[in-house]
Amino acid sequence: MSDIQLLAFGFNHTTAPVEVREKLYVSEEEIPSFLQELKDTCIRELVFLYTCNRMEVYICADDREKAMESLYRVFCNRFKIRPEYLSNYTYTLEDKEVFRHLFLVASGLDSMVIGEPQILGQVKDAYRIATTFNCTGFYLDKIFHKTFNVAKRIRTETKIGYNPVSISSMAVELSKKIFGDLKRKKILVIGAGEMCEIALRHFQKEGIADISVTNRTFANAKRLAEEIIGTPYPFEDIPLLLTEVDMVLSSTGASRPIIDKPLITTVMKKRKNKPLFLIDIAVPRDIEPDVNNIENVYLYDIDDLKDLSQKHLSDRMKEAEKAKKIIEEEVEKLSRAINQVDVAPLISHIVEKFEATRENELKKYIVKLKNVDDDTLKTIDILTRGIVNKLIHPYIAMIKENGNPAVLETMKKIFRFGEDDEEKLDNRKQGE
Amino acid sequence: MDTRILLGAFIVYSLSTFFYLLNLTSERKNSYGRIAHFLLLSAFIIHIMSVVARYFIAGYTPITNSHEALSFFSLCIAGFFLYVKKIYKVEILGAVILPVVLVILIFATAMPSDIRPLPPVLNSYWLPIHTIFSFIGNAIFLVSFFISITYLIVEKGLKEKRFSFSIMRFPSLEVLDSINYRCMSYGFIFLTIGIITGSIWASNAWGAYWSWDPKETWSLITWIIYAVLIHNRMAIGWRGRKTAYMMILGFFSMLVMFFGVNFLLGGLHSYM
Repeated sequence: MSDIQLLAFGFNHTTAPVEVREKLYVSEEEIPSFLQELKDTCIRELVFLYTCNRMEVYICADDREKAMESLYRVFCNRFKIRPEYLSNYTYTLEDKEVFRHLFLVASGLDSMVIGEPQILGQVKDAYRIATTFNCTGFYLDKIFHKTFNVAKRIRTETKIGYNPVSISSMAVELSKKIFGDLKRKKILVIGAGEMCEIALRHFQKEGIADISVTNRTFANAKRLAEEIIGTPYPFEDIPLLLTEVDMVLSSTGASRPIIDKPLITTVMKKRKNKPLFLIDIAVPRDIEPDVNNIENVYLYDIDDLKDLSQKHLSDRMKEAEKAKKIIEEEVEKLSRAINQVDVAPLISHIVEKFEATRENELKKYIVKLKNVDDDTLKTIDILTRGIVNKLIHPYIAMIKENGNPAVLETMKKIFRFGEDDEEKLDNRKQGE
Repeated sequence: MDTRILLGAFIVYSLSTFFYLLNLTSERKNSYGRIAHFLLLSAFIIHIMSVVARYFIAGYTPITNSHEALSFFSLCIAGFFLYVKKIYKVEILGAVILPVVLVILIFATAMPSDIRPLPPVLNSYWLPIHTIFSFIGNAIFLVSFFISITYLIVEKGLKEKRFSFSIMRFPSLEVLDSINYRCMSYGFIFLTIGIITGSIWASNAWGAYWSWDPKETWSLITWIIYAVLIHNRMAIGWRGRKTAYMMILGFFSMLVMFFGVNFLLGGLHSYM
């Protein structure tokens, strides 16, 4: 692998604070031009991964120093920053570390929320864009395809993404456990804050179409209702709405509970005990906690959801250990595969070189030997072949067993691998 | 002949149960469920064949002694579960229902299975009609008993905010409750028909529609429990946990009617 340098360069949420990540911003439209810019002559292959928590460039280059130089140049020019600033917040990885890191990233182990699934899609997109601009080749193709396999293997063999951890996706998951299919369900939103909106988007993804919005200030309810395609209702309608909906998401700034136990008790009678799922993400709470004691009512407040999230995160941490073992396994496999591909030409070069020398010498001396029969010739041939094979063996074994680039480099120098082909041709002609 | 086929069915049921349990514990969704489903379907068909074979060998509907009754009962449970699965796609519940089928079959095979001449009082076309309706009704109530237990476990988890394994894998409360509702209505219909056909047969055979024999009494108690439950669900919305508790109560009453009377209380119905 020594004539090819694998590099990963970039920053993530742990190395660069949000102010820095904001500064080093690339819009989606700019990515193609950025790719072109990066694809300097000394960079053979290139994938550019950019999410809100990381920016990473995966590179396969001929020369490490030159590649880094051009990377720094492009980054500093584009973002108008000094090289020292860039080196403060970035990391550079080489060889094996490159794909180990990529495996970790793609399987969500390097994410802010460990095990989150979106990152795999983002890695796939990054790779797809790179291929459309012809930026990838043998090495990165191999590495990225392997990465997708590894990420899939981790998803199926560990429980890394089993339980949800974000407040919104947990609310969705819980309502699925209560109602099953959410398509025909109705949800009421009390309050018009940002949290409501985020959670509603999650519910909409599950197919909920019937959304009612209410707020103390009707105008705000109307604004949110328009944004997410729902129906606004005046605040006084809450008791009536409660008899009709299946779920309530509450997040107001009220200082005292707006839904109490007597209200829900009467509501449940009118509903003929149809289950009601209440999600209270407001602080202070909007719904009295003892509402949960009413039959067929399920109340989850922000602390309940946070506790669950914490529990699920620690589950994920445990699963991450399993995932890391899988990654180590796969890193070894891939590194062997890449090295083997690389040493095959070197091995055949060495074998050819020895064989050429043997043939050369043999021919010289056979002319001198007169009156030898075919049997003797054959014996001589077998003998020389045996000697040569014995002599080559330690070199070949060393190349096969040892992936160390320094060893390979030495071997290449000894056997003049990669030097111009004319020399080889010359040698053969001399031999003939 | 028929007992050998039954043994074959038993083996395939066991395999199916194994895969259903694997399906419950595995992280891959329904990868083993499909195998389990296929095995269950095969076992069910083999089981039907064994009942049919016995019908032809014995010359009467083979629901006349404990061996035959338990075998036919487990067949009804398997059949009803296949029906529930088709409607609700609840493969995961196989891990709950199939072990029950298996245990009942073990008891069936443990009972003496030799074919004896039919007691004259049973020699009637009412035998298949009355027994088949009653058995299907009972099988439905048994399934609903286990569905109710599952419901209570999931419900408790959700109420107490423990997002545990059982909650993740089992169907939603709404699906479980809806299966229970179906069980309640169908089971009630079959039980009612069973009682009516039984009393017509009784008037033919014993000369009276109703003679307060222990089995008749307990079937009436069971019938009343389910009738109250259905009424309350429709009228005042008894659903969820209340339904589950009532279904469990009804099930125990049914157990007394089904097994207790034959083995403990005696009376006109004790043929087994």
